[in-house]
Amino acid sequence: MKRQIQLALVAIFLCVSLKISAQDATILQAIILDSTLTKDANAIIRSEDVVIQINSINSITVKTKRIVTVLNKLGNRHADSYEPYDPDTKIKKVQAIVYNAFGSEIKKFKKKDFHDRSMYDGFSLIGDNRFIYFDHTPISYPYTLVYESEVETKNSAFIEPWFPISNYHVSLESASYKVINPQRISLRTKEKGFEEYPVELLDGDQEITYRLVKVPALKKEYMSPPLSKIVPLGKVTLDSFSLVNVQGSAKDWKTMGKWQYNNLVSGRDKLPESTIQNISKLVGGASSTKEKVKIIYEYVQDKTRYISVQLGIGGWMPMLAEDVDRLGYGDCKALTNYTKALLDSQNIESYYTIVYGDSDKRDIDSEFASMQGNHVILNIPENEQDIWLECTSQTTPFGFIAGFTDDRNVLVVKPEGGEIKRTKKYLPDENSLKAKAKVYVKSDKSIVGDIEMISGGIQYGDRYETKNEPVKDQKLHYKEYWDYINNLNISSMQLDDDKDAIEYTEKLEVSATNYATKAGNRLLIIPNVFNRYTYKMPKYDDRKTPLVISRGFVDEDVYEIHIPEGYSMGTLPEKKVEESDFGSYSYQLEKLNERQLKFTRKLIIKDGTYPKEKYEEYRQFMSKIRKTDKSKIVLKQQ
Amino acid sequence: MGKLVVWGLGVFLLFSSSVFAQKYKFGKVSKEELQEKSYPLDSSANAAVLYESRKVDYIYNSQGFHLITEVFKRIKIYNKEGFDYATEEISLYKRNSDQEKVMSLKGITYSLVNGEIKETKLKKDGIFNSEVSEYFDEIKFTMPALQEGSVIEYKYRIESPFVANIDRVYLQHEIPAKKIEVVIKAPEYFNFKKFSTGYLPIDLEEVKYSDKFNYRTESRLIAGLNGGRVKGSSHVVEYQGTKYIINSEDVPALKLEPYSGNTQNYISSMVFELSFVSFPNSPIENFSTTWEAVTKTIYESSNFGGELKKSNYYEDDLNQLVSGISDPIKKTAAIYNFVKQKMNWNKVYSVSAAKGVKKAYKEGTGSSGDINLILTSMLSSANIDANPVIVSSSSKVISLFPTRNGFDYVITRVKLPNGNIFYLDATDKYGLPNILPDRVVRGRGRVIAKNGTSQALTFRPTKPSSNRYSIQCELNSEGEVNGKFSVHHLDYLAHGFRVRNGVKSDESNVKRLEKKYEINDLQNYKVSGVKEYGKGVNERFDFSLEDQSEVIEDEIFFSPLLFLRDKENVFKSDERIYPVDYGYPFSNKYMINIKVPEGYEVTEIPKSGSFSLPDNMGKFVYRSNVANGVIQLVVNETINNSMISAEDYFVLKEFYNQVIQKENEQVVLKKI
Repeated sequence: MKRQIQLALVAIFLCVSLKISAQDATILQAIILDSTLTKDANAIIRSEDVVIQINSINSITVKTKRIVTVLNKLGNRHADSYEPYDPDTKIKKVQAIVYNAFGSEIKKFKKKDFHDRSMYDGFSLIGDNRFIYFDHTPISYPYTLVYESEVETKNSAFIEPWFPISNYHVSLESASYKVINPQRISLRTKEKGFEEYPVELLDGDQEITYRLVKVPALKKEYMSPPLSKIVPLGKVTLDSFSLVNVQGSAKDWKTMGKWQYNNLVSGRDKLPESTIQNISKLVGGASSTKEKVKIIYEYVQDKTRYISVQLGIGGWMPMLAEDVDRLGYGDCKALTNYTKALLDSQNIESYYTIVYGDSDKRDIDSEFASMQGNHVILNIPENEQDIWLECTSQTTPFGFIAGFTDDRNVLVVKPEGGEIKRTKKYLPDENSLKAKAKVYVKSDKSIVGDIEMISGGIQYGDRYETKNEPVKDQKLHYKEYWDYINNLNISSMQLDDDKDAIEYTEKLEVSATNYATKAGNRLLIIPNVFNRYTYKMPKYDDRKTPLVISRGFVDEDVYEIHIPEGYSMGTLPEKKVEESDFGSYSYQLEKLNERQLKFTRKLIIKDGTYPKEKYEEYRQFMSKIRKTDKSKIVLKQQ
Repeated sequence: MGKLVVWGLGVFLLFSSSVFAQKYKFGKVSKEELQEKSYPLDSSANAAVLYESRKVDYIYNSQGFHLITEVFKRIKIYNKEGFDYATEEISLYKRNSDQEKVMSLKGITYSLVNGEIKETKLKKDGIFNSEVSEYFDEIKFTMPALQEGSVIEYKYRIESPFVANIDRVYLQHEIPAKKIEVVIKAPEYFNFKKFSTGYLPIDLEEVKYSDKFNYRTESRLIAGLNGGRVKGSSHVVEYQGTKYIINSEDVPALKLEPYSGNTQNYISSMVFELSFVSFPNSPIENFSTTWEAVTKTIYESSNFGGELKKSNYYEDDLNQLVSGISDPIKKTAAIYNFVKQKMNWNKVYSVSAAKGVKKAYKEGTGSSGDINLILTSMLSSANIDANPVIVSSSSKVISLFPTRNGFDYVITRVKLPNGNIFYLDATDKYGLPNILPDRVVRGRGRVIAKNGTSQALTFRPTKPSSNRYSIQCELNSEGEVNGKFSVHHLDYLAHGFRVRNGVKSDESNVKRLEKKYEINDLQNYKVSGVKEYGKGVNERFDFSLEDQSEVIEDEIFFSPLLFLRDKENVFKSDERIYPVDYGYPFSNKYMINIKVPEGYEVTEIPKSGSFSLPDNMGKFVYRSNVANGVIQLVVNETINNSMISAEDYFVLKEFYNQVIQKENEQVVLKKI
């Protein structure tokens, strides 16, 4: 339900469009390749050279030459085949040549051989980003592609960063990045992750150069940090810049925020008098500011929907509040600005806030002021406690941001300047799932039962949207959720979304034939009917990256299990308790009487980043849980 | 008494609806429509088409005939989930200077505000035009001021110079529709073939009509005795035509289901294809009529038959390839393997040579048409009885009528002197004679002989492809199982393996198997036969299992199929509208030997038995035995039909339930 703005795209496409250079002709042959670079690799970047020339704050030229040897079918996507552009960006030169393994030219694509398409970003109704591309069908592997382009843009608010290792399973033979600044326009740089790699850094009078050679391909590991946090990243930004013909200057977040406020946000908040009167009436009875904000937020949810239109400066500036008022739609910028305008009309202070929306908790870099972010939310400072509003969703509860914009640094845009703040973190206790169930095991191997699950926090966020699905899909959802129970039949469902308490209650009546297995005169059942951890984590002999548990949670399950007439339960296994740095687990079966037993399970997982050595410990912890969760008990016929 | 009243009312309502049938006029949305809270026939609908009208007509102007399509839709939005249906995209074709245009676009959103109808007009700032590619423009708009319960209306006209193409007429949507009216007026000059798709009845009426148009001749100079300037003149031309009228009411929403194949084959629609054009005083221009004519047109077209005849570009290669080979099978294999290796498919589906065979051959890449016409031509030149087979691939709507647009692909058929037939597709690197890629095996074909005759074909094999599994293992008293696993993938299952895993490293194959079978320690993985086409693919590994058995007191419990047992029934839904499409029949055969630990005896073992699907559609056989402390198991699970109809869905679902149940039955070992 949450969508992003053009900012993200520009950043992504800039990364993708990094292309580079090499003169040596021997590089074009691919018969003899360095085995350290072919290991785990689908493609090798033989050389990548980017030269960025800052002609003025209205003109930046980017020359790219990139030579990629593709080793197999999976490597094809790393051979450049397209170049993006927009109304302010001109592709001055583009060319691609394909060489076979022996280094002989087999195909050349000139600019006229490229096709021109509009870029569909996956969520916008319309945008003015376009790209040109060529079609190439590889006829054998390995082959080498030499891609060269020269692009000039009037936008200097973004300078494409240096991100030489931008994919898994791609090795790097050589990469260089040079920023030439003949006018000596004041600029700032930031280097991250340069220590772990042999990066060469040359900081000259008019030039900055980064260089890196011989990096073997990386493999993605389960629960590892995002790639951008474990590889070198160089960023460059100008203190004075131009964005779709709007000039700006900023050295730090305060001045950057002020510029954004003055040039992109302010003065777009006029509302029709009738709307203001209507809002005043609506909030008239409210006693507290928070209550008023909630009424206004729900009014916006009711009145508007998300439609993204990204044209020209509209990719950066919100639509006018009065247009949103009339049309009833807008993107994240527009809907946030509209909500802000409504709050302003009631003299409630609120701020337009720029954020990276994703599940990875990506921060706005607090130490490096530049155009960042891909999404906009609204901040209301209320009695020292911030309220954060996601304005693009019609269903999100008031103040709920779990999963997409929680626990990260954001830029709050205030008239007096920008301010970096951290959004709310959802603690394990809040991300809870509490389940109570009654299960009747029948002698025909079937079970019948009812369950009530109450979820909060992140777990609420993962679940509440099922309420809006058709009944048929809801039933299918539960069948998938408990995919290990065959022949599951959902006889009734009662779903209750308490948006005020942010609590989702699922009450179900279910049954399943053949739940128990028969072995002669015994019935085998798995007492943990409704909450099994089933994922088998991969094992690494040589884990390279830290373990990241991005969000913690607490699950508590209590079931009353009734056994069939004519069977006895014998001795039950002992209580199992597992403690670890990552949390704790307990599993217990208690005999209540001859016909009835009580199953109790509690799992606490704590979020955090743990050193790579800890991964195996975590895997073993989860693997014990997985085994215990599916353990059986035997019921004997008397 | 009460019952009677209700019954009477029902009749009255039925009666009244037919007498006072609602008229739908743009701008006249009723309060009742705005007040409706949910769609009466399907309460799960988030939105519904209240009315849709589509009128297609040919209009004559100074440039000749034009195709005019007028669209009017009224849509009810019940809730927020339905807001997506307030955005419309119109795709507009263009070629050279000719292009389709949208005219007179109007839209209104209606909402109830305090009991009053509030109207908001669609304005220019809500309409967006974009260039998608050199062939298509797109107009998008989204309706303003939507609320839950709103009704939206829009209408527009598309003017098209492409008179041969009437767009496919959809009579069903993702949301239900109360009423859809379609009128297509075709002047006598344009003759159409029509075919329908879907599971819903279509009420089509054909009515003759007459109309006229003004035809103006230009003024011109004529030489000669009586020459001079002849004034342009205007003539009235009267003509007859056929009106196709479709009235659909209460159309249910199209539901998507797993394993359905191409859902475009199930949506209710009508396709009108121009078969010939015949203007007075002009020769008839044929597009298609019978299968023979269709195939003839294709065969005679320069980029099909013409390309097939070319041979000089490969002559040298061919001579070298077949020199000294006289056996037709060997010759066929040599040529097929050569083309398969040399040519690389560029993912373009085409019946004819898209690039041209010469260019494709030189570059080593081409479309299905380029590659398989090269193959057919080379085989024919080498005196093999080879013919092209035109194919409706699985991504194409199955053509029910003779129509040229019904095909999008071509393969090759070889008839050997002993009467055996090979179907060959050289676009598929993993293909074999009679082992065709999924896109072809799920499609349909038509073979074209050199004399122009044709014959319909399906490619689905009748013999099940099989996976043969075997496990040799030992169980110890801790409940751990150690042993060896091997599987042979044969025929289509070998092909599937090659397509999915052919280029994968051993390491990623190990990962895949560890994940699939939930095995911790998978050792000594070996795969063989991946490149030996014509044989099966074999995978083997050693394993050690800790969690496949349960040791409780002095007993050990486990399923003798171990990690090979099916755990989950993929058929979960309680209903099914479309057939289940497996692509090809298949069987899984398991042979398992488990050595029981010393000091233990087998006290329980699942009984031997079998059960079947009706009409020999499928069978499950389970045989168990204990001999010399070894549990022996032979299990065979076969599906004989590549497609199973929706009517048989429940028996199929139940069949799998029973399979899972049987495969999960436990062996009990007891300490002696």
